[in-house]
Amino acid sequence: MLEMMTLVLMGTIALAVYRIERGPTGADRMLSSMLFGTSGTALTLLLGEVSGLHRLHDMALVFALLAAVTAVAFVKRAWRAGD
Amino acid sequence: MADDEPRISYVERLGRTSMRSVVLVALWIVLAEGDLESLKVGALLAVAAATASVALLPGPLPRLSAWGLARFVAFFAIQSFAGGTDVALRALHPRRPLDPSCLWYDFRLSGHTPRVVFANTLSLLPGTLSARFDGDRLEVHVLDRGASTTRSIAQVEDRVAALFGIVLPMSGEVE
Amino acid sequence: MIPVVDIASTALFVASGFYFLAGSVGLVRFPDVYTRLHALTKADNLGLGLLVTGLALRSGSWYTVAKLYAIWLLVLFASATSCYLVAHAARTGGIPVWRNERP
Repeated sequence: MLEMMTLVLMGTIALAVYRIERGPTGADRMLSSMLFGTSGTALTLLLGEVSGLHRLHDMALVFALLAAVTAVAFVKRAWRAGD
Repeated sequence: MADDEPRISYVERLGRTSMRSVVLVALWIVLAEGDLESLKVGALLAVAAATASVALLPGPLPRLSAWGLARFVAFFAIQSFAGGTDVALRALHPRRPLDPSCLWYDFRLSGHTPRVVFANTLSLLPGTLSARFDGDRLEVHVLDRGASTTRSIAQVEDRVAALFGIVLPMSGEVE
Repeated sequence: MIPVVDIASTALFVASGFYFLAGSVGLVRFPDVYTRLHALTKADNLGLGLLVTGLALRSGSWYTVAKLYAIWLLVLFASATSCYLVAHAARTGGIPVWRNERP
């Protein structure tokens, strides 16, 4: 069951890759990165449960923190309207 | 931001640093999943983080009302469900029913923190998304013009106000 | 494992998978950056909340339960903030709002 869930989450990431490819704006591509943050956190938590390694919870925490920082970096530094 | 913070006395600084240290130590214990041995490092880091926190935000943190918080958590949980289900059904519906629009909402709440909490809450609730602050107004993007109105947004604002123990003018009207 | 807990957590995982998938379908199908933001912030956060609740049921330790919910809260905070930042940048950058032209 849990293994199925990891496949579903990888599926969501595949769909997000499609959005990166299509864009059309930088902001649209940023959305995929936001999805990686949430799905990545979920995926890491699930793998922690499947493998019994609760240390992976710490990794999920780091994913969540990075998700917050990337959006700030994107808006402040990377993106200009019209890209 | 830091410029308009009030200057605080030594005693206040010490008090706030200790209070925030206690909260951070509790958070550390949760993150270490109860491993008290790790507090050797954790306690030190908690005090360092509390010191940094008081240096950056010396003013008192806004107080939350316990009853308001309990009601807010229940409201938030139910509305998250509604919001997730609403957007999931729209995404999976063959015709993808959407009627988006933008509207300006005039804040009744004052104060930086309550407004930010309100704007963030709106983004997580059904059909609304905070897009832009402009003075005392907030631009809200709505997924369905028919479903999200100034009135439904005002109800969320009332909940956030209750969280901070604030009573808003005209809040009885939207209840 | 207690069967009731097992059944409840499995149901939560299935529901969580549904919302994650629906959020991504929205990301692909919705017409502009704002509507796609709606799909992400609402569906994915609910999906993660359900997943965390399922894992919390199985964990058997209050510390782990608290930690799982702390992670969820952090993600909620991060996505509400990123959502605002991206919407704000898009709005001030002049990305138009898609409107439904059908009668």
